[in-house]
Amino acid sequence: MASKGKIRVLIAKPGLDGHDRGAKVIARALRDSGMEVIYTGLRQTPEDIVEAAIQEDVHFIGLSILSGAHTHIFPRVIDLLKEKDAEDIKIIAGGIIPDEEIPKWNDMGIEAIFGPGSSTKDIIKYIDGKNIE
Amino acid sequence: MNKERLIEKLSEANVRAVARLITLIENEDPLAEEILKKVWNKTGKSYIIGITGPPGAGKSTIVDSLAKFLVEKGNKVGVLAVDPTSPFSGGAVLGDRLRMTGAQSSGIFIRSVASRGHLGGLAATTRLLINAVELLGNDYTIVETVGAGQGDVEIVQISDTTIVVEVPGLGDEVQAQKAGILEIGDILVVNKSDRPGSDRLARELQMMLSLGDKKEWESPIVPTTATTGEGIDELWSKIKKHQGYLGKEKFKNNRLEKLKYELENQISQKLFTKKIVEIGDEEISKTSKGILNRKIDPFTAVDNIIKE
Repeated sequence: MASKGKIRVLIAKPGLDGHDRGAKVIARALRDSGMEVIYTGLRQTPEDIVEAAIQEDVHFIGLSILSGAHTHIFPRVIDLLKEKDAEDIKIIAGGIIPDEEIPKWNDMGIEAIFGPGSSTKDIIKYIDGKNIE
Repeated sequence: MNKERLIEKLSEANVRAVARLITLIENEDPLAEEILKKVWNKTGKSYIIGITGPPGAGKSTIVDSLAKFLVEKGNKVGVLAVDPTSPFSGGAVLGDRLRMTGAQSSGIFIRSVASRGHLGGLAATTRLLINAVELLGNDYTIVETVGAGQGDVEIVQISDTTIVVEVPGLGDEVQAQKAGILEIGDILVVNKSDRPGSDRLARELQMMLSLGDKKEWESPIVPTTATTGEGIDELWSKIKKHQGYLGKEKFKNNRLEKLKYELENQISQKLFTKKIVEIGDEEISKTSKGILNRKIDPFTAVDNIIKE
């Protein structure tokens, strides 16, 4: 856990779909709530994302996926974080994730999933509620 | 990661540990000072290239191409990219990494840094952040400033070679005559050289440079198109040339000058904090009221307070 200071969040858009509006809206909302957001853009591989998250020493990785590729990408990101001894970095996700899958992903280590219609306020409240020192 | 473990990992050039140390430095955590004391003799060993220029000039893209180029030549490279912090929320969107996907996949260490209210183009802690990155054992550290205005010249205080990136279409030749950011470039880059007006900009810059007194080092002008990588090899050869011009002696002297400046800053900062606490709020308010009511002038007031 990083010491007292800013909450740092990496927002990434893995997979091949190019719909990054959601990711940008979240990045902006988090910025406006005082966080430091590293926006890495489109078509990031899980390897890129985990490496970037470690270099940037973030508290959270936010993954935005709308293409269904999450079934492949989520487990990979989770495994890579384990491999790199960086499990303290929490993963949150947004985009199109079927409701019935959410409990399964939560169990596997995706801390929270914010689907369509989620309010940015809820996301901020969630992150703040994690009490990062 | 506790302190001992962090120091141990730092001595192994562990990326996670370096990233954490950077966070501690950014947060001005007292632990950072303790750790830096322990690893200080391992820092200061990279050649520092500073890149500055107006927002959207292509700094990040140039950093990306240059860093990749350096790695292909067998060098180890670290990157610090500074972006502005919002003065309203204190938050920041750090987007330099977005343009650095090439460098990222070449395994280069990149850290996005928020300016956290510091003016001048960098974060207040940038120099120490460079020292932290150097623990990875890199040959070169590239520092990118925030999109800079005419007065953001602080980069020159930390770089061995300063590169100023300009693009066509931002103003006439009087802009080039003004003091400020253009003066600090050891190398001037005209990026987006595929755009109309870039030849003219290069000529205007050339003219600006030729008007002054002849200098020992004449800043070359390098046209680049960062998105295609065009001109990056030329840029590199100019950096090498500048590095060669500095040689051992000038390089050392420059660094010494900068360190002196830095040390003075740190001393005055520490004395300042100490003295302000000593004087106390009450005295400051009382004296300020006196100045407001014209009972005393600010110069005498300051002298009185310092003498006490």
